[in-house]
Amino acid sequence: MSNTRENVLSALRRNVREQYDMPDLDKLQPITFADPVAEFITKTTTTAGAKLLEMQPGEDIINKVREAYPDATSVASNLPGLIAANAPALSMHFVNPDTATVEELERIDVGVIEGKIGVAENACIWVPQQMKEKAVCFASQRLVIVLRRSDIVHNMHEAYDRIAASADYFQQYKFGTFISGPSKTADIESALVYGAQAARAVTVVLFDS
Amino acid sequence: MSTLHAKAAEAYQLKPEVVERHDKTFFGVREKRDRMAHALPEWEDLREAANQIKKHTVTHLADYLEQFEQAATSNGVHVHWAKDADDYNRIVLDILQQHGVKKVVKSKSMLTEECHLNQNLEQHGIDVVETDLGERILQMMKLAPSHIVMPALHVHREEIGDTFRRLIPDFDEIAKTYVAVGGSPADKNDPTFLTYVARMHLRQQFMEADCGMTGANFGIAETGDVVVCTNEGNADMSTSIPKLHIVSMGIEKIIPNYRAMGVFQRLLARCGTGQETTVYTSHFRGPRPGGEMHVVLVDNGRSSILGNEEHWQTLKCMRCGACMNTCPVYRRSAGYSYTYFIPGPIGINLGMLRNPVQYSDNVSACSLCCSCDNVCPVKVDLSTQVYRWRQQLDSLGKADKMKKAMSQGMGFLFGMPAAYKAALWMSPIVNWLPGMLLNSVLNPWAYGHRMMHFPKRSFHEIWSKELKHQR
Amino acid sequence: MKIGLFIPCYVDALYPEVGVSTYKLLTSLGLDVYYPEEQTCCGQPMGNAGFEQKAIPLAKKFDQQFRNFDYVVAPSASCAAYVRCFHPGMLKKEQCEAAGKTMDLVEFLHDVLKVTSLPARFPHKVSVHNSCHGVRELGLSSPSERNVPKYNKVIDLLKLVDGIEVVEPERPDECCGFGGMFAIEEQAVSRRMGIDKVKRHIATGAEYVTGPDSSCLMHMQGIAEKEHLPIRFIHIAQILTSNL
Repeated sequence: MSNTRENVLSALRRNVREQYDMPDLDKLQPITFADPVAEFITKTTTTAGAKLLEMQPGEDIINKVREAYPDATSVASNLPGLIAANAPALSMHFVNPDTATVEELERIDVGVIEGKIGVAENACIWVPQQMKEKAVCFASQRLVIVLRRSDIVHNMHEAYDRIAASADYFQQYKFGTFISGPSKTADIESALVYGAQAARAVTVVLFDS
Repeated sequence: MSTLHAKAAEAYQLKPEVVERHDKTFFGVREKRDRMAHALPEWEDLREAANQIKKHTVTHLADYLEQFEQAATSNGVHVHWAKDADDYNRIVLDILQQHGVKKVVKSKSMLTEECHLNQNLEQHGIDVVETDLGERILQMMKLAPSHIVMPALHVHREEIGDTFRRLIPDFDEIAKTYVAVGGSPADKNDPTFLTYVARMHLRQQFMEADCGMTGANFGIAETGDVVVCTNEGNADMSTSIPKLHIVSMGIEKIIPNYRAMGVFQRLLARCGTGQETTVYTSHFRGPRPGGEMHVVLVDNGRSSILGNEEHWQTLKCMRCGACMNTCPVYRRSAGYSYTYFIPGPIGINLGMLRNPVQYSDNVSACSLCCSCDNVCPVKVDLSTQVYRWRQQLDSLGKADKMKKAMSQGMGFLFGMPAAYKAALWMSPIVNWLPGMLLNSVLNPWAYGHRMMHFPKRSFHEIWSKELKHQR
Repeated sequence: MKIGLFIPCYVDALYPEVGVSTYKLLTSLGLDVYYPEEQTCCGQPMGNAGFEQKAIPLAKKFDQQFRNFDYVVAPSASCAAYVRCFHPGMLKKEQCEAAGKTMDLVEFLHDVLKVTSLPARFPHKVSVHNSCHGVRELGLSSPSERNVPKYNKVIDLLKLVDGIEVVEPERPDECCGFGGMFAIEEQAVSRRMGIDKVKRHIATGAEYVTGPDSSCLMHMQGIAEKEHLPIRFIHIAQILTSNL
């Protein structure tokens, strides 16, 4: 196998004809918005197909979960506002993705997770893995993603710059994802359907510091 | 005179309503891409940046692959190198057998299709379940994909419904739960209902699987990230439930760093499906707690393509599908008319690079309109490459005999002005040929056209007899 | 300014009136126009069919015929494009002087002469056929795929014509399906593309389809006549010289 490695690498070095330089990406002027938060909210609730709620200062996250999904039957989260200590306040089945199995998480109705960056141009939310089992982000039937309003940036370049510069991500868990609304497909006759293999519905909860 | 593509495309025309639907569907995606392009003032700069980043990376690929391997390995990823499809299949089978894997769930990967992974695993008694809805439908129907991104749009809901009823054992139980969650199918083959059925069926597959396999849209050299973009979240489900993750990645998928990633993330969905983004853009940097992650880097001809002066730029391709959506020939002939598993402009070129004798039938599938060049996010010179492949066909023994004879005839005629002028002088005779002769198979023009009327005097004659003397 | 008139082979044989109109138009604008009689073909049919080798002698001959003119003008976007874009790759630099100064009639009128008025009168509704090679190789109009400022040199010239109404079809620069040998080798798809394009032109309500390329017009006309689709075809040179 290391033979293949040497062969491939030397073939690549041998066969290249002309080499080209990396372009200067500073010259690129990516789109920005007069009001990126407003743009994010619009894109989130239209093209991404998600709902959006604003959390008032001092408001309990449990309130928002109830407001988003009044008929929720079970919740999974390791957010401080929702951990088992507060579970009785929810009066429904509760699991923590730091301790639950994937089988338990697959049966969960609502996952509550944290986003660290919001992107105005496409309603993407950077969700780094902060729990032992990331299944909570995908197997939950519905998601609540909590995001700080001041963490919204204009475009993906800014988002990626932040991630690259940060020491917070990929340390304990080596995964992160951008999520833009509920999962969807148009594979059957181009008919758009929400709820393909992952979340059927997403509610973004914005809060201020 | 006919290539296999021309013959298949002719048969496809027998159902004009199917042609129209297919053409409309994919032009619709092209139009969505146009809206995306016009919404970003920096669009053309973004394409040029992507082009240059790929040209740079591909021509420094060995260095970047080494960097990627080092980063990935330091994060606990097992990196393997496969020289060709057989090698790739051996490596994957090895990993699966070592872990006693009986069932694999996989997300879409053109590379796995290129290497015939599924057939290989099934031969060794390993169950492979496609989890992208379109691919799963085709897998169940034992059909090939017709497009690289939206592979099953040619299949009707009735056929899908029939297939699901036939092959999903607990279809009826699932149907009952749909009603329970508030769904009410307008018709028994409503796409929302069928998607729900597939969701429930695939959930079970995810839970039973021992391994999740994904492709890679991008590999980031600096950090060792493998990036997978989906709308369905199936790559994420495949890698969040089973603990073993195997990534299959063509070596040309490497990009340098996160700054480059921003350029490509913004182009991929806009070009491929006409959305600002896929729902999920997932970065896999290392294994899950208690899990294992393997990346198989596959060459399978890519390193020699790099040395091909006329065709190395196909290595820039991100497999977005934009070229197919805009191609007027693909839209009116559909995936099954092509003999290579990837259709459309990039498929013609990749097929010829794979095996120029075997796949030469697709080279006719192009009117050289150049639309593909203008939608490609990385500016692959697709139409020029098709033109170049055409020059190769004769030496491959694959030149169409009639085209060759006509070209030789024209070469002779146009090379001798006296003969040419004589032919012009005689051409009105064609007007007097009996309709039967004109409209027969000997006159291929007559297939779709009413024959032109040859005027009495050519321009040559008008000039030499009149205009010249009026100067 | 000495202009060499390049009349493509099929225009020569089938649509000489387009050549005559081109000649008359250019001379009416005060230019010295000459037609080298030994010209035959630019080689595109052979090149696109995969026999570029057979086109090389023709490219050489083209250069010999035309190198001493200030401009070479042709009433054909695809032929001018083939000469300008492909001849340089086929010939040695010293053998290739004419290619760089070869232009389609529309771009010559628009960019070089910068024509701002014409005595032409054509009181009809015309649908513009934006031929692929004109759009994407010569830049006669902004390609619909690109995010660039919108422009159309063909329409700019047509708007100088008295009484004319100019429209564009849906999918304004989708290929008509001629593609030279493509129409023969992939006749079924070519026909389908042609029918679709003609129908889109007809849907504008226009009486005529016009454009810079007789090859596209020839293909669509043949199809329209066979399918009994009611619309007429005319090269832009003829519209611009109407009333002359």
